[in-house]
Amino acid sequence: MNPGNASQNKLSPATAGYVMAATVAVLFNTALAWIKDSSPALNNFMKSLTGHHWTTHGLADLILFLVLGMVFSKSGMAEKMDSGRLITALIAATAVAALGLGLWFAFV
Amino acid sequence: MNITASDLILLAHAGFGVTGCLAALWVIVETLNASSSNAARIRSAALLTAVCIAAAWIFGGYWYVHFYAPEKALILKGPWPFAHDIFMETKEHLFFITGILAFLLPIATRDVLHSNAVARRLVLAVASLIVVTGLVVEGAGAVIGHGVKIALLRGGAQGGTK
Repeated sequence: MNPGNASQNKLSPATAGYVMAATVAVLFNTALAWIKDSSPALNNFMKSLTGHHWTTHGLADLILFLVLGMVFSKSGMAEKMDSGRLITALIAATAVAALGLGLWFAFV
Repeated sequence: MNITASDLILLAHAGFGVTGCLAALWVIVETLNASSSNAARIRSAALLTAVCIAAAWIFGGYWYVHFYAPEKALILKGPWPFAHDIFMETKEHLFFITGILAFLLPIATRDVLHSNAVARRLVLAVASLIVVTGLVVEGAGAVIGHGVKIALLRGGAQGGTK
């Protein structure tokens, strides 16, 4: 249990940090998909790292989420932000990132 | 009966994916009724969501890397090439978003939900996004499977008439 926020309408420092990290990671995921799709050189480089570009892509997302989560949690950066805005940003980022993927592969 | 490793891995991928979505739905229901008595259950359901989506990631990733290439070739030669070009391409990247959200969920449920409205809102938002994106991914999987099926059926029909 994360202490210190039981009676406050605020996310704990750890949770806020990982929410911010997830927001960045979902947007990074879509951006990397776009760049990879338009750059065979990057696609091949990512393939050379793990044997498949998709495996590298997933690992990059996961590492980014975990590392940023630790950094944002420990630095207290996310905690200073309004918790409601962090949640709204995560929802908006997910919607934009998901639509961005669908529209890219449908029309580009 | 002839069930291959490829079949089992693919079914495990879809099965864990849908179980993860159901576990996220369970988190939503429990969180709407959050109290001190169901706090442990909410955390267990959130952990189950993360474990199931992680398993779906591993099984799906293994199948995609090792077994998908021949099916991709069939789809692209068949009447529904968009089953790969749009649906698989979107699914294979959208799944990462579901995965990130699933790993965030157990962290979000560590806050004291029954006395913290913002923490409850976060858990409801994350779990809902997992359900929605997860179901989109499941639906895309069905379209991809159908793309293979009609490539085989219509390819076979064409082969029979020529």
